[in-house]
Amino acid sequence: MTYRKLEGKSTQILEKIRENLEKLNEKIDVMIEIQKHGQREIPENLPEALDVMTLLSLPDHLRKTAVTLCKLEKATADDVAEQTKRARAVESGYLNQLVIMGYMKKEREGRKAYFCVNKED
Amino acid sequence: MGKIIAVHSYKGGTGKTSLSVNLAATYARSGKKVCLMDLDFRAPSLHALFKDYETDYWLNDYLNGVCEIDKVLVDATKDHGNGGKLMVGLANPSTEAIRDMTAKDRKWEMKALGRLLSLRSSVLNDGGFDFIIFDTSPGLQYSSINAIVTADVVLVVTSLDASDINGSQRMTSELYDLFEKKTGILVNKVIADYLSSPEEEKKFNKYIKSVHSLPILAVIPCFCEVLRAAGDFIFSEEKPDHPFTETLEQLANKVEKF
Repeated sequence: MTYRKLEGKSTQILEKIRENLEKLNEKIDVMIEIQKHGQREIPENLPEALDVMTLLSLPDHLRKTAVTLCKLEKATADDVAEQTKRARAVESGYLNQLVIMGYMKKEREGRKAYFCVNKED
Repeated sequence: MGKIIAVHSYKGGTGKTSLSVNLAATYARSGKKVCLMDLDFRAPSLHALFKDYETDYWLNDYLNGVCEIDKVLVDATKDHGNGGKLMVGLANPSTEAIRDMTAKDRKWEMKALGRLLSLRSSVLNDGGFDFIIFDTSPGLQYSSINAIVTADVVLVVTSLDASDINGSQRMTSELYDLFEKKTGILVNKVIADYLSSPEEEKKFNKYIKSVHSLPILAVIPCFCEVLRAAGDFIFSEEKPDHPFTETLEQLANKVEKF
């Protein structure tokens, strides 16, 4: 009984660590983008149209993620990783970059983070 | 699971519409459920061939979010089913509609891509269709790239014109490869001289493989009879034993397994 309780506790702690690492990852992604383009050029979540011409102009690694999300409409990094056969952490990084670039929106539903294409005007 | 096929080309007049229509008819004849769609909004063509069918809604309306796809599709099975099913989605040929479609902004095109992508669920999964065939506009147009992104297989129709070959080569590296699409080449309107003997044919095939890095799915000779059909009737339907029809049947098999 005590062993099971301990096991449950450590799973919770690990989950918390994973969540915090993810948040750290996102912050690092933002910092990288700021370093690359400078604070002023970052569109700060302003919606940008992710049309096919924009898809064509994206670097290969981001295009694959963006096209997959267009097909799935709304998905987690896990869902995208399943389609692209790339690691979840990699997709999470790319999706967050696309959010920073203004092409996608990120919504948290409970513990899960969902990404969707920004269709607002 | 069904397949979406986009028939595209770099230049106009390569025979996209003729091949799309005949490929659709070939699949229908083999008992498949096929949906043929005219995505050439700048120069719609299918309405002329399916002129006896009246429609209240066009594919333009579907992409504009005015209606769902079931309102657009007309059932041509009675005349063109031949054992299968053929539904057709037409593009609005009026000047006003063409002008409207050419003035769309990026945001609209993004939504249109979403509408095209959702056809997989509404037509293939829910409607139980085996194939959707997109007849697209030539070159790098929004509507054709949207169709390419949506498709499982892209068929690039090319003539032997030097600029067409060059354009198709560039589109391979700058468009089809970038979207990681299964793409095959259909060499259309090949002059009979090039295929006059097995040796000549071998020489021609070697040449065509050397200029295109993509698989050659069909080499279609230029038949005057096909040109004479002039988009007025479906050739492979009227002439089931003609070599053109035979080539289309071979192509249909290859695309199905592609």
